[in-house]
Amino acid sequence: MSLTSRITHHASRFTHHTSRFTFDILLVGVGGQGVLSIGEIVAEAACRRSIPVNLYPIKGMAQRGGFVKAQVRLGREVTGPNIPQKGADLVIAMERSEALKAVRFVRPGGDFVLFDHVWVPMAVMLGKADYPTPEQVSEQIQEAGGRMHYLAPESLPLYKGVPVPANIFVLGAAVGHTRLADVLSPSDIVQIVQTKWTRSTERNVFAFQAGLEASIQEP
Amino acid sequence: METKLLTGNQALALGALHAGVRVVTGYPGTPSTEALACLLALEPEGVYVEWSTNEKVALEIAAGASWAGQRALCTMKMSGLNVAYDSLISIAYSGCIGGLVVYVADDPGVHAGMAEQDSRGFALMSDLPMLDPASVEEAYRLMRSAFELSERVGSPVFVRLVGAVAHSQAPVEVEEPAPIPRRKARLVRDIARFTKAGSAICTAQHRDLLARLEKAARVIGEMGLNRLQLASKTGGLGIVASGVTASYLEEGFEIAARFGFERGAVSVLWITAVNPFPTDEVRALLRHSSTILVLEELEPYIEKGICVEARRMGFTGRIVGKLDGPFERVGEYGVEQVVRGIGAALSLPIPDDLFQGSEAAESLAAERPITFCAGCPHRGTFMAINRAIRKAGYKKNEVVVTGDIGCTILGMNPPFHTAWTEVSMGASVGLAQGFVHGGAETPVIATIGDSTFFHAGIPGLINAVQHQVPLTLVILDNGWTSMTGMQVNPGTDETFQRPGDRRVDIAELIPALGVERFFIIDPFDLDEAAATIQKALELPGVKVVLSRQECAIQAMRRGIRAGKVRVIPENCNLCKLCITHTGCPAIGIDEDTIVIDPALCYGCGLCAQVCNREAIERVGESASQRVSESAIERGSEGARE
Repeated sequence: MSLTSRITHHASRFTHHTSRFTFDILLVGVGGQGVLSIGEIVAEAACRRSIPVNLYPIKGMAQRGGFVKAQVRLGREVTGPNIPQKGADLVIAMERSEALKAVRFVRPGGDFVLFDHVWVPMAVMLGKADYPTPEQVSEQIQEAGGRMHYLAPESLPLYKGVPVPANIFVLGAAVGHTRLADVLSPSDIVQIVQTKWTRSTERNVFAFQAGLEASIQEP
Repeated sequence: METKLLTGNQALALGALHAGVRVVTGYPGTPSTEALACLLALEPEGVYVEWSTNEKVALEIAAGASWAGQRALCTMKMSGLNVAYDSLISIAYSGCIGGLVVYVADDPGVHAGMAEQDSRGFALMSDLPMLDPASVEEAYRLMRSAFELSERVGSPVFVRLVGAVAHSQAPVEVEEPAPIPRRKARLVRDIARFTKAGSAICTAQHRDLLARLEKAARVIGEMGLNRLQLASKTGGLGIVASGVTASYLEEGFEIAARFGFERGAVSVLWITAVNPFPTDEVRALLRHSSTILVLEELEPYIEKGICVEARRMGFTGRIVGKLDGPFERVGEYGVEQVVRGIGAALSLPIPDDLFQGSEAAESLAAERPITFCAGCPHRGTFMAINRAIRKAGYKKNEVVVTGDIGCTILGMNPPFHTAWTEVSMGASVGLAQGFVHGGAETPVIATIGDSTFFHAGIPGLINAVQHQVPLTLVILDNGWTSMTGMQVNPGTDETFQRPGDRRVDIAELIPALGVERFFIIDPFDLDEAAATIQKALELPGVKVVLSRQECAIQAMRRGIRAGKVRVIPENCNLCKLCITHTGCPAIGIDEDTIVIDPALCYGCGLCAQVCNREAIERVGESASQRVSESAIERGSEGARE
């Protein structure tokens, strides 16, 4: 399916959505993965449709490899920045171990997109500390009632021989496979991606489309 | 009108700009930094904006501008308010002429480090009005009110944001700012108002201060900054929500409705102006309600005020909060506190596990202690300190190394485990002297970054020189205020100073302070750096070691690298010395050899210097090495031993 037809399909579904709703998204990962950019794109896309939005990024001490978290709350005119535990309609985790820190926030029945990238801390690299297995993470997500959507890092497609940006791919997968599609319009997101990164537009649009169509696997 | 997606900090800054602010000063500190940073980037015409040396200096500049009749804004994090407070309380006694707004950002939940301090307490102690916006949109809107209030009352006004609001992004309707006529400076000599000489002056000022606070209560009432909504029937629940907690009310009401809560039966007081205490509104709420629920993060200041009014009025109902109720003085509030509070106040059957997610998952997550960025020069300095301690014949736990605020404190983490303490800006220097006087029989080392040294480290060093306290102060000078996002500080290279500004070179400053044993090292030259620090440890008196290389993040943004390294896999036996000594995030492990991520690597070469199998090789020479050499040459002219 071409990008255009895919997007038109989604857009038409979007315009039929009129009822009042709220939608809370928790994003986690490590610094350097573009987690905050996902939040910014979602917030911008909400703004375009006049959906009330609050994006609250927590960078800690912003650094490559450090814990990063962002919360996007959609649909409330007045909203506090923090999502309560068991409150997130959608969790997007970009790193396996950090995904575990998000588990207590997923709403039972909520979507949990796990991009199973592994970023091992030094102690793990030296064999002095344990690192979770995909099975452990999957078990925890299911125990919390989350609907897991698993993306292996190998599923990241190549564009002109180079892997596409994971964050845009994962955002595409979330739009393509979770209820985020009922909230945001893919064509809006494509436009935002195009204006946000004017230099690597094609690569990013390709990444987003690949995500929309990505097949969700078992861990 | 235009709708823009803004952070709380940006909204506050734009609000100040649209209110006609003319002078903006501050010192960087999470979560407040971006407010001033965005004005600095905007370069608005006719507005003077600067990062000052510290918060006290920043506040004094803003107050001076206000006393000359201009609108001024001063920005800081809560720890900075502690520094500025000496001047602030004196300025509070004098009042202001042009509107003076002090923006302080608190960090409930401690996302950035330091004390979980509730700066509302400072407003109480200094009798200054304080506004506490609940949202990004309010942060924009209330700045105009803050300046207006300040000028109508003649008092500095605090605006406080919590980190969750300061860092949140939300759509804000931004007005097209009306051109604001430039005020001519009006210089007023009035020693009864602007000095503190003598009891008569000070007690009169104290009375004036209290009178201004009383007036502020009236003006806040007129401006309608606090909002009271009484239920149609008396005898129900009255909720008091302060600052950000108010933003969770509607969500909490929706959830509580599932357990029998009726929105219509509840009265609500939204408190935006937290000081002076909203006595009239609280009394009206107490008269109307049988039970009170108080929602405020951190300290129970409002709750205590309500208890006082309740006592004065003979209110006998329950007041649910922190003193008599379910809430803690630690951490952020969210919708959970709204729902649990309502449950406690109305005895609703809220299930215990409503907001209780699985903690088992989190316990399986790997710990991720943060370390220096790849290429960070501080890595080399802490490696050199560790080696110097060892070579001087001490074990690491025998030598006190005080740490300080900023990136340099990461020397406390693995693999260095070097720094012992972190207290406040500049405290490493004073603490070290205390350890000496306290009887430490081994050498005492203090470590501090460049901006922190300028901010509050210099008086401590002067003290050490005057009293000739034997210690080694290592200044880790990377040329930027890095931790808060790369602000220019007095020591930043001339090239990056604003046109007309001048660099203050630490290498010229140290000898001028009377330090006789002064060394400059290159943290990327491990042998030489360690040998110099060791020498310093063994000398008597005050020794200062200035460790100089630019912040690698900043250098790499300009396309500069310190050099280039290459792994020779056939020499690598995976002993991992390079990892255990440097902890560099650019180094990883492959099947039979370590690997270095070329995108991350700055080429500092520290890994090559600790490898004892020649498995990492330095390739060629680079621009940065030449830069560092010239810096050292420049410094060494002032260096004495």
